[in-house]
Amino acid sequence: MSEKLQQIINKQHKTLAGDDIKIDEVIQLVGFIVGDEEFSVPILSIQEIIKPISWTRVPQTPAYILGVFNLRGSVIPLIDLRSRFGLEMIKHTEETRFIVMKNGDDVAGFVIDRLTEAIRLPKRDVGPAPETISEEESLIDGVGKQADRIITILKVDKLLERNF
Amino acid sequence: MDEFQEILQDFLVESFELIEQLDQDLVELESRPDDLDLLNRIFRVAHTIKGASSFLNFDVLTHLTHHMENILNLARHGDLVIDADVMDIILESIDLMKALLVRIRDTGVDGGLDVSACVVRLDAAASGTPIAAAAPVAEEPVAAAPAEEEPDYSGMSEAEVEAEIERLIAVRQAEDAAKRAAKNPAPAESEEEPDYSGMSDAEVEAEIERLIAVRQAEDAAKRAQKASGTELEPAAPAAAAAPAPAAQPKAAPAPKAAPAAPAPRRAENKEDGENRGGGSVEQTIRVDVKRLDHLMNLIGELVLGKNRLIKINDDVEERYEGEAFLEELNQVVSIVSLVTTDLQIAVMKTRMLPIGKVFNKFPRMIRDLSRELNKKIELEITGEETELDKSIVEEIGDPLVHIIRNSCDHGIETPETRLAGGKNETGTIQLKAYHEGNHIVIQIIDDGKGLDPDMLKAKSVEKGIITEKEADGMSDKEAYGLIFRPGFSTAAQVTSVSGRGVGMDVVKTNIEKLNGMIDIDSEVGQGTSMKLKIPLTLAIIQALLVGVQEEYYAIPLASVLETVRISKDEIYTVESRSVMRLRDEVLSLVHIGDIFEVERVFDNSEHAYVVVLGLAESKIGLIVDSLVGQEEIVIKSLGEYLKGIEGIAGATIRGDGGVTLIVDVAALMQMAKSVKSTVGNESSDAKGRSGAKTSPSDYCVMIVDDSKTDRTIMRKALEPMGITLVEAVDGVEALNVLKQGDHSFDGMLIDIEMPRMDGYTLASEIKKYNKYKNLPLIAVTSRSGKADRMRGVESGMIEYITKPYSPEYLMNVVKRNIKFNEGL
Repeated sequence: MSEKLQQIINKQHKTLAGDDIKIDEVIQLVGFIVGDEEFSVPILSIQEIIKPISWTRVPQTPAYILGVFNLRGSVIPLIDLRSRFGLEMIKHTEETRFIVMKNGDDVAGFVIDRLTEAIRLPKRDVGPAPETISEEESLIDGVGKQADRIITILKVDKLLERNF
Repeated sequence: MDEFQEILQDFLVESFELIEQLDQDLVELESRPDDLDLLNRIFRVAHTIKGASSFLNFDVLTHLTHHMENILNLARHGDLVIDADVMDIILESIDLMKALLVRIRDTGVDGGLDVSACVVRLDAAASGTPIAAAAPVAEEPVAAAPAEEEPDYSGMSEAEVEAEIERLIAVRQAEDAAKRAAKNPAPAESEEEPDYSGMSDAEVEAEIERLIAVRQAEDAAKRAQKASGTELEPAAPAAAAAPAPAAQPKAAPAPKAAPAAPAPRRAENKEDGENRGGGSVEQTIRVDVKRLDHLMNLIGELVLGKNRLIKINDDVEERYEGEAFLEELNQVVSIVSLVTTDLQIAVMKTRMLPIGKVFNKFPRMIRDLSRELNKKIELEITGEETELDKSIVEEIGDPLVHIIRNSCDHGIETPETRLAGGKNETGTIQLKAYHEGNHIVIQIIDDGKGLDPDMLKAKSVEKGIITEKEADGMSDKEAYGLIFRPGFSTAAQVTSVSGRGVGMDVVKTNIEKLNGMIDIDSEVGQGTSMKLKIPLTLAIIQALLVGVQEEYYAIPLASVLETVRISKDEIYTVESRSVMRLRDEVLSLVHIGDIFEVERVFDNSEHAYVVVLGLAESKIGLIVDSLVGQEEIVIKSLGEYLKGIEGIAGATIRGDGGVTLIVDVAALMQMAKSVKSTVGNESSDAKGRSGAKTSPSDYCVMIVDDSKTDRTIMRKALEPMGITLVEAVDGVEALNVLKQGDHSFDGMLIDIEMPRMDGYTLASEIKKYNKYKNLPLIAVTSRSGKADRMRGVESGMIEYITKPYSPEYLMNVVKRNIKFNEGL
């Protein structure tokens, strides 16, 4: 009896999920472009995404730290991801966004070139980061494979870690 | 269990409050041993704590306080004179009591500390006085009994003395108990009294136990009675007043005294206690500090909101000038801003504590120190009711302890020295607190031997804290500041009090942490005055907003001494540091742009603003492009990611919603030491004057020195550069060479001591000519005193090289000043 019930519930789950994968095996990501590459971070690590606002430079910091900005009364660091990834900084465009990410109490805003989309990715389609990069230093959590493209998934805790 | 915890909390809070007062009372008591009021107050503290702790089953604490109560009770009845030795023991026991209370607070039990030694000493003290042994039930001591026992002591061996003491203690305790019992209304107990002498030790113990129990019951009854008495009090006088107003004072105590105490003195005490209880019923509640902190944070947000609102109001006013609703908006904005300010002040006040909280522990400390150091020191406290923020009260304690210890140890001389020096044998330390604007000033003044700047310098040089050269250039004030350097101690020998060279260093750090300033004044033989100036509160501060290029920074107004507008000509370079003359001082300067790596794109104004910053005992001038104004700011942290950035204390949000960084003045002063000056390099016309240089020999430098040797040394040092060198033997010749105009000089090296015309005169002569206004004049001399440098600066020299120097150094200084192009 209970076995039958279980089967029915399972079937319902499958119909809800729209495919054969169970819900807990899907990761939800937000994709964005920095330079020529598409990156993504887990949707749950994003506090909010805002349009660029003014910020204040903070001295004695690496160039990729643009400064701090005011997010509804909180002073939050602003990090330029282009510069963080060793690319040349460009002027902000209409599509530039600040993604405010959080990990526990650590919060920071990241400048990205443009948003792409929210992505649902089965866990089995996520491969490990390339082995050429040492595990400790790497900002890359894994690589997501989709039909037509490859998405790099970033480690939010590493991004929010002070490294100077 | 919860109820017990609640009672325990109340007990601890009450006990700590009582003890705080206790220390002060005890020290006062030593000078006025027969002040009954004081004695009663102290007795009551011991008594209250004993009562409560026995109720809460803190046996160790009860045991200790019981014996303290004993000895105080004796004193209270005039049976024991409290001299310094007795006081030492009492104070020791109070320390122990505090330790026990702390232990209870932290662990919940009162074990782990051994009180027996202290108890024995307390009892010994109680019985040690001649009168004590015989004090019978009567109030007046009868001196018959001790007279017999006393002579024996001298002949006794140590063991015998011990035994005797033990015995006396037992007897004494019995007597105390009996005395107490006698005051008890139960008449039966007074009959038992004669039996004690016949009892064995064990019996006495048992009897004591019993009596204590009786006593506690009595206490409880009394307390209950007191409580009801307090309530009744307003009614009592009224009732008494109706029949016979004249009799009122007598009538009032009578009903209360009657049931418990036949002894008149006891009645007085009680009356006293009740008046106190009745008079000081304060309308207070205890609030968790966390709640206040939270409230303060909310107010902070409100202040930011207010700032923003004002800014928006201004914008709206501009845009819709003359519209009717503006008036209304204006009104609302002013009301909101007014209320916010009031609210902020009100909340700040709830966090205020009288500084007496900190001052209270000093009389005791001074007393202990003076006994330890064998000095006579008196402490005068004024302004203990001055209030300041709780967080500051907590921080200020340690620095004050260090300063006062220092004054006792190093400042105040021994009585003999003082007498020999024609001073009063007793040294005085004054501790003052008062408000000054948005600051509180705490002043510690001693009339001791004062600070000797020369001695301080010599000592620092000896310890390698400063170099001989630095010492020469120091003013007296700067020399006083040396006592704050780590590793500095002027005490010839390390005592337990000071001399380890950590204390004053801590003072400076703590005061800087509070954005405070230290000002020392001293006169040898007359004493020292130390002034600590501390802002009233920390979370919301007044700040001066300054601009550099397109950036703004907020400087805590507490650290700003003044602002001055100067022309760029007033900035001089001494040994590659920028300085200016501010009245009779030389102020080192640093550009805010150099500290905070601001790119200076446009910089063509003739004038600059200098913000004179003062912190602890040091001063510096900060050059900024513009002064924006004064604003109330709320300090926000930069968060985990950006914390600890040198020179930045935090950030604040401005009225326009932007973020402005707050300058950490202490760090800035440190950074300024290592920042190379760029101020002097701005004179653009220097380049124009030197024209197009195509080879090193196009550069021309004049060497003015009367000594052939010195001229040769300079020539040898500069020849490798390949520049043209011209020599002159004194000022007159140099001036002539210059006037002839055969060479276009890029710089001059000038000795100070020369015949006919010295270096200073030469420099001022040269500067009289407009075309030489920017000619770099470099003094090369063996005179290194501050006054000499200052004269050099005044006469127009921009660099000051002291002999001896290394050839490379000379070359570098010259290269820098003549803008030598290495590429040639």
